[in-house]
Amino acid sequence: MKIIVNGNTHELNRMASLDDLLKQLGANPEAVALMVNDQVIPRTERAGMVLKEGDRLEVLSFMGGG
Amino acid sequence: MKTNDKLILGGQEFESRLLVGTGKFSSIEVMLAAIKASGAQLVTVALRRFNRERPSDDLLGPLVKLGITLVPNTSGARNAAEAVRAAMLGRELSGSRFVKVEIHPNPHHLMPDPIETYEASRQLAQEGFIVLPYMPADPVLAKRLEDVGCAAVMPLGSAIGSGHGLSTAEMVKLIIADSGIPVIVDAGIRSPSEAAASMEMGCSAVLVNSAIAAAGDPVGMASAFSWAVKAGAAARLAGLMAQSGHAVATSPLTSFLTGDHA
Repeated sequence: MKIIVNGNTHELNRMASLDDLLKQLGANPEAVALMVNDQVIPRTERAGMVLKEGDRLEVLSFMGGG
Repeated sequence: MKTNDKLILGGQEFESRLLVGTGKFSSIEVMLAAIKASGAQLVTVALRRFNRERPSDDLLGPLVKLGITLVPNTSGARNAAEAVRAAMLGRELSGSRFVKVEIHPNPHHLMPDPIETYEASRQLAQEGFIVLPYMPADPVLAKRLEDVGCAAVMPLGSAIGSGHGLSTAEMVKLIIADSGIPVIVDAGIRSPSEAAASMEMGCSAVLVNSAIAAAGDPVGMASAFSWAVKAGAAARLAGLMAQSGHAVATSPLTSFLTGDHA
């Protein structure tokens, strides 16, 4: 199925967990915050999160800022 | 600043009255060395889309090792709803309740949107965040932000990254005079003397980023700011002398050759 990750289309195995997806993206699961369809996904709810076709996932990390 | 020698924000005490931002540094190594030299205990960071091409840009790991408190900002948010979301995402990563509310829709001047800043700050304070809003130097807005539960107000000295110093000094004085919460000058500071002047004026702390990151020697400049903030805070505590419209002699005016009184 197709989902949108940070604005780009991404092909995803239906059975893949969020953590699997993050590893696929090269992201450290501990160092990123997630949002699905504009909803913040708390760390504690990641494991139970099931993505659907067309979901918009945002993967965010800390960068320099004032 | 009152008589307490510690900065208190959201019930937490900090020895350092210098907050430092992490933008614009040439490398993570220089940034970390500058933060250490500054003595800052509160450090701001921004949230951006993870970039798989540059995973090493992530600052969380290196900053956590410093043992400082992270203050995620909401830069990039164009309105209150986006800022609230950014704050919640930042909290997921920082593990702290601190947030710098920063909503500036116009990239030309980066002036904070007072209406969206107020609304985001109100909601986030209700959610239990320790809210530090970046705001125009407006005494009325400062009071309104205090009323909705902000932990401090952060009026701008001048435009972000402009280096135009404390162009809002008179307004900042009015904010300090009425404020029941710490006032932190944020943005525009270029030189340590401006940071010291802010502290002498009665600010509780100063937030500096570009002036350190874009200095010839960021680590050296971070030390200079550390001293300046301490000097300004000590001067405020000691109490500046009264000003006079005419000269007041420091030496005896008796003519020493004749013994006559002048």
